[in-house]
Amino acid sequence: MSAPDNLLEVTGLKKYFPIYRGILSRHVGDVKAVDGIDFTLGRQETLSLVGESGCGKTTAGRSLLRLLTPTAGEALYRPEPGAAQVDLFGLSEKKMRALRRDLQIIFQDPYGSLNPRITVGNAIGEALSVHGIAQGSELDDRVSELLRLVGLRPDVANRFPHEFSGGQRQRIGIARALTLRPKLIVCDEAVSALDVSIQAQVINLLGDLQEEFGLSYIFIAHDLSVVKYISDRVAVMYLGRIVETGTVEQIFENPQHPYTKALLAAIPVPDPSRRSQRVHLEGDVPSPISPPSGCHFHTRCPVAEERCSRETPAMQACEKGHHAACFLAEVSSST
Amino acid sequence: MTDPSINPAKSSNGNTPLLELRELKTHFRVDEGLARAVDGVSYSLREGETLGVVGESGCGKSVTALSIMGLVPMPPGLNAGGEILFRGENLLDRSEEQMRAIRGNEIAMIFQEPMTALNPVFTVGNQIMETVMLHQGMDAAAAREHAISMLEKVGIPSPLSRVDEYPHQLSGGMRQRVMIAIAMSCNPSLLIADEPTTALDVTIQAQILDLISDLQKADGMSVLLITHDLGVVAQTAHHVAVMYAGKVVEYATVEELFSNPRHPYSIGLFRSLPDLAGAGERLETIQGMVPSATHFPSGCRFRTRCTIATDLCASQVPSLDPLEGAPAHTVACHHLEEAEKL
Repeated sequence: MSAPDNLLEVTGLKKYFPIYRGILSRHVGDVKAVDGIDFTLGRQETLSLVGESGCGKTTAGRSLLRLLTPTAGEALYRPEPGAAQVDLFGLSEKKMRALRRDLQIIFQDPYGSLNPRITVGNAIGEALSVHGIAQGSELDDRVSELLRLVGLRPDVANRFPHEFSGGQRQRIGIARALTLRPKLIVCDEAVSALDVSIQAQVINLLGDLQEEFGLSYIFIAHDLSVVKYISDRVAVMYLGRIVETGTVEQIFENPQHPYTKALLAAIPVPDPSRRSQRVHLEGDVPSPISPPSGCHFHTRCPVAEERCSRETPAMQACEKGHHAACFLAEVSSST
Repeated sequence: MTDPSINPAKSSNGNTPLLELRELKTHFRVDEGLARAVDGVSYSLREGETLGVVGESGCGKSVTALSIMGLVPMPPGLNAGGEILFRGENLLDRSEEQMRAIRGNEIAMIFQEPMTALNPVFTVGNQIMETVMLHQGMDAAAAREHAISMLEKVGIPSPLSRVDEYPHQLSGGMRQRVMIAIAMSCNPSLLIADEPTTALDVTIQAQILDLISDLQKADGMSVLLITHDLGVVAQTAHHVAVMYAGKVVEYATVEELFSNPRHPYSIGLFRSLPDLAGAGERLETIQGMVPSATHFPSGCRFRTRCTIATDLCASQVPSLDPLEGAPAHTVACHHLEEAEKL
């Protein structure tokens, strides 16, 4: 898994939210939102985290950027190829703050993530002045350049967010994330709230920017057709754990975990001649407060065996770069 | 999913459609002027069929549905013309009292957000009982029995205990099942489903779509399915109406529309889908964005985003006309030949 020039290597990332009950606020348990996940991210690579609501994909993205304090794990970040790795989770606030230039995030809701009282130009330029990079007319120039980059006219800098449509706001969010020339952007459901034709515009924009600036993306999404389109590699999450990872081809052409298969089968295909007769998953995702024993998925799994409720399956290699946590996955003997 | 063998031709033997909209216009008076949210919408829906209405935010698909239900607040809304024929009778002529007898009884509706559509301070059982007690005059005991059987019918496990639970105790998928139970409790002949699965996860969405089509097969009701998701339409609808800026721009059977879209907007919509089959290439997009309902362009409303628009498109509104050789496929475009080359 480890390569000398990987941008990021995350191991054992956990984020628990404690539950307190009673008048003494006793600690009675934890919501194990992210329960020990490992992944790596190469340069100019897009890794998608996919799964249903409550699988921990958003929490994983936010913990990685320390917008939530991780409970355990390490995230080794290598700013340049060959440079020394730093553990993002072990840095002081001050050092982390300097590194935040490299690590940005785009949120799902372009309405909620922009301050309605701040002009678009100020929202984009704020980071430049906070980090002491540009001021005055130089700052204005940088803001104009960023607006042009995301396909907006530079003269909109004096307008307020309410004057823009959803797609335009998402472009503003992207411009703001690009301000400090980051190396990694976490896109948290960045296109989910947009209409199909606008979504396509924003997806293309993200692709262009990746090429131009060598960006790496962690793309958090539930829409698998977008994921298939945009990703290099995919990690499928279920109840706080990664159940399968692989390249986009491996996951979509040769899924091994029954949950991945079910997720793919549930996508409504935009082709009336291929109406699905597939068996759909039954039931809901169990509560992450008391997840099922053994393999978390065994309560909904169509092929579960007796041992699935007793033992937790480890990740095992199916092909090169393709891993699944299932006792029944086809395990390759060569790797 | 819907059985494709339910052939549209089967129910088309000359009988009048269950629902027919003729040039329906619903406008709103707003500060900026007159918003023509629905501006001359015509489509029809036969018994036992599903009509998918697709389009982007602000195209008027939801306002059309609310107009059918008589739920558009007036003012600011106003009825600017047209007819809504339900079993051949114009719903716009009905009094509020008459509409109340139809609403929830013959025509039922489910909404996108099951948490806000359910009342948080009543049990789910009470909310189903209210409908049947009001419309069918059942007494409380019979209504409770009916509520339990409805919950069972929509696939809620242990309905005997769930009937006394409150909406917040249920998951999103379960709440949508409850919404469907309420809507189905009076055995309606038309179910309007406004983005019924948009807020749900994909595995739960598949369950809910299966449920709707199973109930449809069992009870023979018609479904008006409003969605922005072309995948959902492909999997469930018999006919599709594509809406843009308050008008229907194309109407056809689902097979015809997906294999042979003819309006430049429909073509653009299909091209901008990140297809599951082919990855890697650049997505085609429709330039620009949907115009505001108070300031629609003259003539064809899509012309400002259309790559083949001419002066004719600016001066004349294209009518929704049948294609040559395919009378059931109607398109509103002046330049069908050029559109075919897109």
